Amino acid sequence: MPFTSPFAPSTATAGRGSIQLALLPPNTPVLRNVSYQYPLKLVAPDALPPPDHDSDANAPELVHTVFLLTYGGGIVAGDGIDLSVNLDQYTRLVLLTQGSTKIFKTPDPKLVSRQHMAVRLHLGSALVYLPDPVQPFAHTSFSQSQIYHLEDAQGSLCVCDWVTSGRSARGEDWDIYEYKSRNEVWSSGVNAKKRLLLRDNLILDKHGRTDMQLSARMDNHAVFGTLIIHGPAFASLSQYFLDEFEALPRIGGRNWGDTTQPDLNPKEQRRVDRQEQERANGLIWSAARVRGFVLVKFASREVEGSRHWLRDMISEEHSILNKFGERAVLCLK
Amino acid sequence: MTANTSHQSSLEAEIADLESRLRTARSRLNVSEAPSHSSPSQPVRRAQDEALHALLLLSDSALPLGSFAFSSGLESYLAHHKLQTSTSATSQAASFSIFLQLSLSTLAGTALPYVLAGYRHPEQAETLDNDFDASTPCTVARRASVAQGRALLTVWDRSFKAKYNQNNAVGENIAADSLTAFSKTIRSSDEVNAHYAPLWGLVTRALAVPLHDAAYLFLFSHARTITSAAVRASVMGPYQAQAVLAGSDLQQRINGLVEDGWNTPIEDAGQSVPVMDLWVGRHEKLYSRIFNS
Repeated sequence: MPFTSPFAPSTATAGRGSIQLALLPPNTPVLRNVSYQYPLKLVAPDALPPPDHDSDANAPELVHTVFLLTYGGGIVAGDGIDLSVNLDQYTRLVLLTQGSTKIFKTPDPKLVSRQHMAVRLHLGSALVYLPDPVQPFAHTSFSQSQIYHLEDAQGSLCVCDWVTSGRSARGEDWDIYEYKSRNEVWSSGVNAKKRLLLRDNLILDKHGRTDMQLSARMDNHAVFGTLIIHGPAFASLSQYFLDEFEALPRIGGRNWGDTTQPDLNPKEQRRVDRQEQERANGLIWSAARVRGFVLVKFASREVEGSRHWLRDMISEEHSILNKFGERAVLCLK
Repeated sequence: MTANTSHQSSLEAEIADLESRLRTARSRLNVSEAPSHSSPSQPVRRAQDEALHALLLLSDSALPLGSFAFSSGLESYLAHHKLQTSTSATSQAASFSIFLQLSLSTLAGTALPYVLAGYRHPEQAETLDNDFDASTPCTVARRASVAQGRALLTVWDRSFKAKYNQNNAVGENIAADSLTAFSKTIRSSDEVNAHYAPLWGLVTRALAVPLHDAAYLFLFSHARTITSAAVRASVMGPYQAQAVLAGSDLQQRINGLVEDGWNTPIEDAGQSVPVMDLWVGRHEKLYSRIFNS
């Protein structure tokens, strides 16, 4: 009788990683597998019960958190990272980074560093991925893709992808060779045909298809970001973004002084303060409902402007903190 | 009245441009096919005339697509920049030329691959339409694209189809057949949107316009639409606008963009000017608007 190894075949490829979050009935999620290879490193601290556990019957008992790290705090030219994540039914996961993902100088523009992440979300599962921004240094080539597969277009997502102009303290201003970031959400089911639900593809290359320098194309913004929100777990959050966008003051509108300012309740006062802060930070944003998603785009003059804004928006609305705990917004602190 | 004359003159400029391109194309043909062309060979010329006729139809600014209603973010861009600096007429024209560059490369990055794919694979119309819809990041851009796409489909259905179907049996012109099938599904299905870019590819294929011309005209029409919007937003005068359109600058840029995007698969279509999404998306927040996008 031929010997069959009881162990899975080794997947020891450099940069390969895997996170499997399974549900132990009735509702205890467990990290079935966390594996990684240099230069990727995954750190999973103890899972915490979500603050709203008592109020929400569907919520799992624990929310797991995994830090995505790289040795040296960044990605060296030629590195490749390939992470696959699987969320079983009714599990919740928070993915975090520890500091911005730095992309280090490449000796040759054609030597592209890559990072790929594929996430499979089963019915009722939810993912929060609010990382620090990617910070490509001058003379770098980087390409990343985040592909999310939703079972039958269900599953909840709140994921952010943002990039900065480099080390602004050193005068870097989009001095990269190439930066590409792709976010895709697919619907896949046993019976249904695989269907593209959302694609957000950013392509920054040095010359690009215009003859303009990258920095000239950016209209004085040092950070650009996209926030993708989908699913029942984030229904109130996505509505909040839409409402706040609707409540933004009109561009080019004027105060003629013939309307008296009504007294503001505390919530309205915080909104006015936030809008004041947006102006001060040169932050502009938009939110739109697209095919069942809420897609938020933002840009600001400096990184901290966007970071504060994201944190303010998410903490004010508060449902992520209730459902996933304070850890979910750790990167926005 | 002025709008009329500007349309008229833009049309004339376009015709002149098309004719000159036809001449150069012919002369190239003459060089490559010199022997057979010593006596003008009728069939070759007729094929070209067909394509030219279709090209003229599609380049007509009277083509009822409603493009005049869209500024593709120009209005919002101007509003965002008015806040930062007080703009004089000259700097307005300068910032318009930057916007035109950015807008063209955005369109070439996001939509051109779909035009080419629609032309090359008309049978995939529905997938292309779905994927384009999935890649359109905001309601404003979506509205503009769908409005013009549906208008183009209507023009095809009501005006072009009869002529182009009479010479062909079913199955001969796959683009025409796909268009017929597509306009049937659009009435029954909510999942079909009729975006402009892929349909442009299908219609130009059905009309037998050469692919390069179809792509060139797609970008050129966009430049014309924005320039015309700029005239109406009083960024520049109609003569200045014609100068922009006639410029060899624009011609080279469009040619370059077509060349760059020629082999880009739709999966790699993407935004190269991220701030454009914000300008277009924030159009809804303008205090006063004269355009739909």
